[in-house]
Amino acid sequence: MTAIPAFVSYEFADCKELCLSLAAQSGRRVMLVPPLFDEMNRMRKMLVDVMRSLEAHEIASFLPNLPGTNESLRPLEQTMLSDWQKALEACAQQHQISHIASFRGGALAVAEMKTANHWIFSPVKGATILRTMMRTKVAADREAGLNIGLAELAARAKTGPLELAGNIIGSDLFTQLNAAEIPSMDNQRIVRLKSDNKPGDVQIPGTALWLRAEPDDDLDMSAAIAQDIAAWIGQ
Amino acid sequence: MQNKVELTPEAAVRAVMRDILGLSEEQVAEFTAETELFGALPELDSMAVAGLLTELEDRLDIMIDDDEVDGELFETFGNLVAFAEMKVTE
Repeated sequence: MTAIPAFVSYEFADCKELCLSLAAQSGRRVMLVPPLFDEMNRMRKMLVDVMRSLEAHEIASFLPNLPGTNESLRPLEQTMLSDWQKALEACAQQHQISHIASFRGGALAVAEMKTANHWIFSPVKGATILRTMMRTKVAADREAGLNIGLAELAARAKTGPLELAGNIIGSDLFTQLNAAEIPSMDNQRIVRLKSDNKPGDVQIPGTALWLRAEPDDDLDMSAAIAQDIAAWIGQ
Repeated sequence: MQNKVELTPEAAVRAVMRDILGLSEEQVAEFTAETELFGALPELDSMAVAGLLTELEDRLDIMIDDDEVDGELFETFGNLVAFAEMKVTE
């Protein structure tokens, strides 16, 4: 029978944060770092499908909540990118993680774990994520008769929290994300979609689920991702 | 590592539309200049449009200003391709 993913937790800053895990008895243990904000929701089913496929490869997987997101008790408004980085280091340590697979903006949240083994799917810099979110706010404001452009929104973010696509983003998170470039690490494998023209170590078939209007899955892509992670981890 | 491959503006717009709408390559190949977008495709809401603009910026190495974006731009596939072609020559 196929195992069912179960919630475990990790401790960070006196809070217990939830972490979905599967096949936790294996010695090969990968932490899947989700994309940020809406992209996380749109890709969650795909990520859990990756976990199921990894189990078939006898690899244990952990999908942590970032503090301030999902069921976390911590307010997002009081959370910075550096908190996510510290939290994921704590999670990796507490669950004896051997390898890290990060997706999209999730790569920014493990960028300080320089000596770890990184598998990175379609990384994106923080400013790009913020730009998309600011654009949705600009569009919504326009419908409400307000004319506030991207530059003005970015200026406002420096002085106080900004609500972007339903997320209350504090000044520190905005500033840190805006400056966060795609990390370059010693042991990394950059994975891109075949439809992507940006540089990478390998291309896999699939679709950019983070662009979809609604959450969706792509079982072939999840299987290809798990296959590539398994080959990268090795025996 | 493989280097970045140059995309034509039309190919980039087609690829992004395919990703947003979840279409097959064959389906999106049928898009013509007259294919209607905003209003005709319910998936293309303001969130999707925001993602589309950022993704085009990223894939074509362009910057799109707020005041360049209006309803007309998303009326048809042809309008969007023409806009992308104009931006890459700027």
